[in-house]
Amino acid sequence: MNTAKLTSVKDRAKVALNDQFLRNAVRFTTEKLRSGRKTASQDQGNWEEWRERGRQIRLHTIAHLDYYLAQFIENARAQGTHIHFASTSEEAVEIAMKIAEAKQAKSVVKSKSMVSEEIHLNQALESAGIEAVETDLGEYIIQLAGETPSHIIIPAIHKNKQQVAELFSKEAGQQLPADTTILAGFARAKLREKFLEADIGMTGCNFAIAETGSITLFSNEGNARMVSTVPKTQITMMGMERIIPTLDDLEVMATLLPRSATGQKLTVYMSIITGPRRSQDSDGPEEMHIIILDNGRSLQLGDPEFQELLNCIRCGACLNACPVYRHIGGHSYGKVYSGPIGAVLTPALNGNVAEWDDIANASTLCGACWEACPVKIPLHDMLVYLRRKKADQGYTAASERAAFKGFRYVMSNHKRYRLSMKMGAIGQTPLVSNGVISAKVGPLKGWTSHRYAPSLAKQSFRDSWRALDLDVQSELREMDPDIQAKMNQIVESRRKGGRTHG
Amino acid sequence: MAKSSGYLAELEERSKRRQEEFLNNIRTRLGRSSNTPVHPFRGAPDFWLNYDLTQQERIDLFMENWRKVGGEAIQVGSMEEAKTYISDVTQTMQARYLLCFDQPELVEMKLAQTCPGTDVTFWNPDRESELLAKAAGTDIGIGIVDYAVAHTGTILAMSNPYKGRAISLLPTAFMAVIKAETIRTRMGEVLKEVRGLHEAGEMPAGVHFVTGPSRSADIENDLTIGVHGPGVMYAVVVG
Repeated sequence: MNTAKLTSVKDRAKVALNDQFLRNAVRFTTEKLRSGRKTASQDQGNWEEWRERGRQIRLHTIAHLDYYLAQFIENARAQGTHIHFASTSEEAVEIAMKIAEAKQAKSVVKSKSMVSEEIHLNQALESAGIEAVETDLGEYIIQLAGETPSHIIIPAIHKNKQQVAELFSKEAGQQLPADTTILAGFARAKLREKFLEADIGMTGCNFAIAETGSITLFSNEGNARMVSTVPKTQITMMGMERIIPTLDDLEVMATLLPRSATGQKLTVYMSIITGPRRSQDSDGPEEMHIIILDNGRSLQLGDPEFQELLNCIRCGACLNACPVYRHIGGHSYGKVYSGPIGAVLTPALNGNVAEWDDIANASTLCGACWEACPVKIPLHDMLVYLRRKKADQGYTAASERAAFKGFRYVMSNHKRYRLSMKMGAIGQTPLVSNGVISAKVGPLKGWTSHRYAPSLAKQSFRDSWRALDLDVQSELREMDPDIQAKMNQIVESRRKGGRTHG
Repeated sequence: MAKSSGYLAELEERSKRRQEEFLNNIRTRLGRSSNTPVHPFRGAPDFWLNYDLTQQERIDLFMENWRKVGGEAIQVGSMEEAKTYISDVTQTMQARYLLCFDQPELVEMKLAQTCPGTDVTFWNPDRESELLAKAAGTDIGIGIVDYAVAHTGTILAMSNPYKGRAISLLPTAFMAVIKAETIRTRMGEVLKEVRGLHEAGEMPAGVHFVTGPSRSADIENDLTIGVHGPGVMYAVVVG
């Protein structure tokens, strides 16, 4: 299902909502991950304190990012790592291609990296005639299908076993049954070959540690280790905000990330990689490169509303918690990063409110994303800021602007308000049945095509106020004399030092 | 190599040229001076630092967690008993190729003698060219690991010339031999040891924490074991 060409989130969501398997799969998986996170965070205990500590570490690091980045660079260079800077995705691609060219690379094996998705590196490699192989099982599946990830942790969440068997059978040149063990076995054997023949291994970076110049990788399958152990050259793609100051801080991130992502105490592999292999080592890369990418990240710095966006540790908990994501799936967001984080990150990185603002509307502002976030990023507030930006810059629909103008005209004068309510109550009569409006007409259509609109009350609260006020007054006057006496008694006994609620 | 080093010099020169501009842009946007920041919240919260278990509690918790993620765990009294266990597993699994860390205690086990017909290789710089291919065809990788973490059921293997990274990764199974006194309660304690190595200028290139067999849930959420890394993980706690 390729929805990237559809222009709005509404259109893409329509396609997703019609795909029953996709909806079931997304619901099932996100539910499982979400309950896994809850259990794991409860088992760990003091979860709020861990979250707060995680938030503080990320806040501090981003607020002093130039300092920690400089420290990281110095320490990484001291271990023999080659550091490169890329302000844009084009620059990052160009540097990676330069390395590949110098190595006369024919094939590149990749472990999961959202940054490499973000800069569309595979296309560049392929057009240079270099094979780029995604080695995370889920990424491998969607690469064979020619699609993009629909979930940050489980990229092929939208594919069923039969579809995977079809894709793998084509690759194998023989029919494979839709059996998970056999399919995974095929992928293991096939990718093993690819690891052993690859010239370059390419990884992402979960955290970069300033005090040691190391990168850390979290993975369950072991492909990130393969990619950083077997090929002779390693290239790591790193968003410039991935830094944490010390190894001590890694304990906090290692507590938060796996529990929030999959409900595990720790991913099967957590690797701290510091420079290329040492002179006497027999495995690991001989040459190690880290490309540090900005690509719109620095636009968030110094912006009080969006700077915290850079605190994100890419766990995907907000996707699993989001009622909108659970219904429409990742592809509806139309970009690499989906869910609540994607809805804010995509327009923020692009610095382009006009083109991508519509995904900011794909949220109910319920705040479930913020509650799930291990570093407490206020994503729901950011979505409101985005909508405000959109309105400020005049990107709202003409009908919406007209509606708000009308609203102001009516609401700023109580006589006009009263009159319009009266007219509305009369005017709605043909549309109301059983106290609700379901007709999909005129300006109501946007609301009523998916749910009922409540009808205007026959008698407004304003009209009822005088009667209500009188009722209240008379009740107060008519207090039961017995109760009055009892209360007086209680007050009296308190005064004498009797029992109190202290 | 001339061409290769030429491109490195060119990229290095460009990197140094770009660095200041790249970092300055960040500093300017943050409105920051170039002062060294005070680091107010470092590492785990205080209550966590006080969490400590006795050695036997650590062993028990480690084994419980290791089993929960699908690993095999056993506690033995001595290296001699560990050797017996390893030989038994090798023979029951009909393993033909073993690849071991080149550590004196493992060499002394003389596994080639106790398991006739089994090819035993030790990871050593002398055999550099053949080791990776060997690892890919190995049935069981064996190593005395550096540390273990009880709270998460994790082992830690650090690379050095005699302890290749591939041994805990490419073989079908991996046997981690763990000396009881190297099991810590929290990961933070082990990370402190790693920092110690860094400060001594002896940081290994690869520090690998491993928590059970390789796994994936990428196909319809079906748990699959042994996708790229070992599908069977043994832990032998000695002591």
